[in-house]
Amino acid sequence: MRAGIYELAIRLRNREISAVELTKAYIDAIEKLNPAINAYVYLTFDTALKAAEQADQMLKEGDAPLLCGIPMALKDNICTDGIATTCCSKILKDFKPYYDAAVWEKLKAQGAVLLGKTNMDEFAMGSTSETSCYGAPLNPRNTNYVTGGSSGGSAAAVCANLAVYSLGSDTGGSIRQPASFCGVVGLKPTYGAVSRYGLIAYGSSLDQIGPLANSVKDAAIVFDAIKGGDKRDQTSVDYDYGSSLAECLDRDIKGMRIGVAEEFFEGINTEIKSKIEKAIKLFENNGAVIENIRLPALKLALPVYYIIACAEASSNLGRYDGIRYGYRTSSYTGIEDMIVRTRSEGFGDEVKRRIMLGTYVLSSGYYDAYYKKACLIREEINREFDAVFENCDVLVAPTAPNTAFPLNHKGDSPVEMYLSDICTVPVNIAGVPAISVPCGEDSRGLPIGMQIIGRRFGEATVLQAAHFYEQSAGKVIGDYEGGAGI
Amino acid sequence: MFVSSGDLTAAAVRKGVRIMAISKTEIEKLAKLAKLSFTDEELERFTAEFDEIIAFADTVNQSIEGGTEQIRSVDARMVSFDDLRPDEVVPSLPNDKILSNVEGYNGFFKVERSKK
Repeated sequence: MRAGIYELAIRLRNREISAVELTKAYIDAIEKLNPAINAYVYLTFDTALKAAEQADQMLKEGDAPLLCGIPMALKDNICTDGIATTCCSKILKDFKPYYDAAVWEKLKAQGAVLLGKTNMDEFAMGSTSETSCYGAPLNPRNTNYVTGGSSGGSAAAVCANLAVYSLGSDTGGSIRQPASFCGVVGLKPTYGAVSRYGLIAYGSSLDQIGPLANSVKDAAIVFDAIKGGDKRDQTSVDYDYGSSLAECLDRDIKGMRIGVAEEFFEGINTEIKSKIEKAIKLFENNGAVIENIRLPALKLALPVYYIIACAEASSNLGRYDGIRYGYRTSSYTGIEDMIVRTRSEGFGDEVKRRIMLGTYVLSSGYYDAYYKKACLIREEINREFDAVFENCDVLVAPTAPNTAFPLNHKGDSPVEMYLSDICTVPVNIAGVPAISVPCGEDSRGLPIGMQIIGRRFGEATVLQAAHFYEQSAGKVIGDYEGGAGI
Repeated sequence: MFVSSGDLTAAAVRKGVRIMAISKTEIEKLAKLAKLSFTDEELERFTAEFDEIIAFADTVNQSIEGGTEQIRSVDARMVSFDDLRPDEVVPSLPNDKILSNVEGYNGFFKVERSKK
């Protein structure tokens, strides 16, 4: 059984293992497995070992934070001062940020040990991580399948025990869906709960940073460490969650009102549906009250999401012009030509598709018909969620309508791939928190994820329900054998 | 307020169903706005794909009973300017650090000569 953050923290404090030894074990595992899995795109072993030495010093001095000396990974769209951050895009190849993202600043101050930057879909646009300019990461549970996306490398690194935990970002399901595909836990916090300062923007009204971990408790510990307002991200909020979220996990779920909306189950693979229903039964048998609810506007969540996310992306990605940083075309006839060639050569197909859709829905004549209407429907979706949470503490739903796709499964069209985000995008539209926890395997042995959704800043209840399920359901997926072996 | 016209998303991707068509000329115009360019072959493929993507986005227009006016009547707040922090002057990052990603930066950005 793999040790969690809490157990490792005790072993570090008892001097059973040092942070340097722990880091070396992860470095060895990465050197052995990463060439095959491609979870990491940039390795930071030298700085990791230095950070581990400092962590050992902090531990020796006493009173070190829980995450001190714990090896971890960051998605390649989270800025790290002087360490390559490329969003897995040719246009940002070799880009080295000149400041740390707020989340990394916080973790670094707590003695975290960064092993490297993880693979992802280019600019976080995708559901398989195959749009990465470094090639796709492979699902450690079965390397013929994708990890999911866009935080695929972050999920694969945790799954294969190549990091104790990682951070990802979630604009339309990019933490939860790969967590589901790789059989790990992924938490998308409330919009505003975590500062996005230093997160390379995709859809700014939807983006949120969160942890991927091997257990709900680990996810709670990491969320505790990164949450909080920051004046450099005007959307972030200093919400008072109390002393520690990890400490309230063991509360009883008796009387917890769990909403089940039929809209989340339409078109879902039957194996997934039956596992989620089994989990709902487990909650009910332990005293939770199941409420059947309706969320009719969810039918519109997918097109609303793609309109809003792409509109914001077309604006956010306007900054990549090859002048101040990143890739620049080698031959051009003038400044306009340089920008067009740089962008056309630097961006991949999926990024271009989304920039084009965003440009279309914001262009004169189409703004009212698409963008404005999507914003209005978004309000309706928010109202429906607000109404549901007057009577429910959490909602339970599948994380994805399917398990991991085989590699290179492009589907009939880009739109077919967009449909796979159906269960996760409503959560981003409403800005509410949600977690994905493993709840079984399909007939091919691929993990299935269950999503638990809460009201805004209701992470404590979401984590409590997820922890209860994790502790009560028994073994729902097989262990991954390998990795650091700790 | 909302009615289902069957499975909307499935309808959008059903082969052969084109809710609205987009021409190659329009794609070229959009590409110009987005500062992107496509080869002829890319343009061909992209136009077909984009047509389907627009049809998918268009489901927001098809599915609202009574059109958009009904939803427009809702007091929707698209952008909030409440609670903005005061505009304080704080030190910024040093120029040499910010421009450390520019190859050969010496106070100027180097670009290829465009006027002979």
